[in-house]
Amino acid sequence: MRYQIVVAGFGGQGVVFLVKVLSICAGKKGYKFLGTENHGMSQRGGSVSSHIKIGDFYNPLIDFAQADLLIGLDRDEAILNLPYLKRGGNVVVNADEFPKIEAKVFAVDANKLAEEGVFDAKGLNVFMLGLTLAEVKDFPFSVDEVKAAIEEINPKFAPQNFEILDKALKYGKN
Amino acid sequence: MKLTLMGNEAIAYGLIHSNTKMVSGYPGTPSSEILTTVQKLKKDLPIYSEWATNEKVGFEVAYAGAVAGVNAAATMKQVGLNVASDALMSASFIGNKGAFVLIVADDPGFNSSQTEQDSREFARFARIPVVDPATPQEAYDFTKLASKISKKFEIPVMLRSVMRVSHSREIVEIEDNFEFKDVEGNFERDIPRWAAVPRAGRLKQAYEQLERIDKIREYNYNELIKPKIEKLKGTENLVISSGAAWGYVKEVTDELDLDIDILKIDMPYPLPVKELKDLVKQYKKVLVVEETYPVIEEEVRCENVYGRMSGHMHQIDEMNKERVLEALKKVGFYEGENIYKPVFVPENPKTRKPNLCPGCPHRDVYFAIKKVFRPKKSIYPSDIGCYTLGINLDAIDTVLCMGASVSMAHGFAIADKNKTVIATIGDSTFFHSGTAPLINAVYQKAKFILVILDNSTTAMTGRQSTPERATGGEVDLKKMAEGCGAEVMEYFYKPDINETINFFKEVKKRFEEVDRPLVVISRQYCVLDKERATQFLPGIFATVDEEKCVACDVCTTQYVCPPMHYNERGKIEIDPLLCIGCGVCISGICPTDAFIPRKDEK
Repeated sequence: MRYQIVVAGFGGQGVVFLVKVLSICAGKKGYKFLGTENHGMSQRGGSVSSHIKIGDFYNPLIDFAQADLLIGLDRDEAILNLPYLKRGGNVVVNADEFPKIEAKVFAVDANKLAEEGVFDAKGLNVFMLGLTLAEVKDFPFSVDEVKAAIEEINPKFAPQNFEILDKALKYGKN
Repeated sequence: MKLTLMGNEAIAYGLIHSNTKMVSGYPGTPSSEILTTVQKLKKDLPIYSEWATNEKVGFEVAYAGAVAGVNAAATMKQVGLNVASDALMSASFIGNKGAFVLIVADDPGFNSSQTEQDSREFARFARIPVVDPATPQEAYDFTKLASKISKKFEIPVMLRSVMRVSHSREIVEIEDNFEFKDVEGNFERDIPRWAAVPRAGRLKQAYEQLERIDKIREYNYNELIKPKIEKLKGTENLVISSGAAWGYVKEVTDELDLDIDILKIDMPYPLPVKELKDLVKQYKKVLVVEETYPVIEEEVRCENVYGRMSGHMHQIDEMNKERVLEALKKVGFYEGENIYKPVFVPENPKTRKPNLCPGCPHRDVYFAIKKVFRPKKSIYPSDIGCYTLGINLDAIDTVLCMGASVSMAHGFAIADKNKTVIATIGDSTFFHSGTAPLINAVYQKAKFILVILDNSTTAMTGRQSTPERATGGEVDLKKMAEGCGAEVMEYFYKPDINETINFFKEVKKRFEEVDRPLVVISRQYCVLDKERATQFLPGIFATVDEEKCVACDVCTTQYVCPPMHYNERGKIEIDPLLCIGCGVCISGICPTDAFIPRKDEK
């Protein structure tokens, strides 16, 4: 089992939270896991990308043309991180449109949905994870596994996050 | 027990599981979460874990604990070690009774630092052992190992982490049912040791230091290196690596399916040089892959050893697998294609620069400083912290190191008398190293303005407490500046740009009357400090009257607030998801008053 994910966004979008969720998912399934986080200067609204490697890896950084999946919390940040994606990989991105590339791209204008009140903008990270669960066939974790991890991180906010996740799943299926 | 831990959290567990009783240090990315995690984990355990005013102070507090026989540790980032190096250079002669682990987190690639220095080089310079973990699991294991070696040889031991270890997350196996063994400190008088003075006392310790480092060299070989050499297969070529760099090598050789022996060094100093040179002779070629300076390479260097010094590895910037692959190619270990060549290469991708947060009062202070003290007639020295991002407003001319804003302001005031020098420094940085230069400036009658941006927190590194806030007023910035002999003015920030500009007009007037440094303390909140920010933020959210916007660029170049950007019509737009509702832009940033309150407010 080897699966590499790049999560691209900017400071304050909750990229680190997704790293935590996926790390707990991996731990529960007994997969090896290495993930990176950004702190400090890189957190102040600047570009933030986290790398998540599930399986037999020894270093947390993903190299160019290696990622199975790119989750873009922002369109420009997703484009910036395209070099990490392998040919035929998956892209789940918050964007109204996205360049046509040799990859499976699933673009949703989540900012617009948040503005329309479909979900709270603070939950963008969870919404995009929900879309990933709905759309990416080879994603290594199930909805229940993701929910269990979210619950473990913060039981108090878990119900709100579950609601956002379910909305995303529903949205993804339609 | 298995836990998903960040490297820094793993180090904190390692410290507690080594019965470490005192931990001190100063925040700095990527090291900050070590001490905060100890604070979280200690619960009822008798552990002292407190932030110090700077790294030197933190080192010395913890070191005294180790001299008195308890296990202790100091945490800092690599540039912090420069500050603590005075203490380190002597402690390495004197040693300790309890364990003393010096934890330093390096930042290859300048992600959040002014330098890319390799702290292993510092360990070698100070002649103390250094261990170099590659993963969070090793960060936990090596913290315990460092504590053990320190106690055994009575010498400080460095745990050198890097950003990709400190800030990576992995499933870590830690000790089950650990019980903390409390040891009471007991300082035993030994004047020739603890107070060794030049020349006789120190000379004796210098010889002891050499003997000790030789013993540790032997330990390194027998305990750590020899078992690994015995497992090598004896391939044609060899790679020697250590720390996070090893992870890249391991993955590249796996992915390229190369049959090359890899020797991972856990303790890069002191190395058993003779034994390693014997090993090197058994291979045709040896490539050393390490981050960031050629520490191991320099020690084992001979004609068939390649690396940075031979020009086969990149010299600057963080390692990646492509760079390792290129080096393997150059040295002749691999001949195939570059599998890390990107498939998708975006044209002119937009990168987002770090910026002051929406609603951050630093932005207003910089804007006002530039309005009142015009750039052509002013010099703006600054310092290290969130407020360094004032560089986006062109409100910062110099950044050197912690506290240098004050001493450089002094120097500029002497060298360039035709300009007004107005420096900025954060409260935590001022406590760290601002007082000595301020005293010097008063003493030398230098004339400049020093603005202390007091948000009562160390914001950049995760809002660690500062002395003034933590003590509830016993440490008083205003009294400190007055005590140093400076003129002092105080401003209580309001989210109204006219108030801030008017205050700085007063500052300008006052400055004309004084003959010494004028310290301005701007009392303001950090917007990330929810407890305080909610009290100050008025909740006036902005939007733009497009008819009034003339696209003059004032807001995007002089104020630079993250929600502001041009839309497809060439007018400024406010991103409603980013606006925090400070209302300052509406109060008078725009020359044509295009910012107006949003009507649909909740």
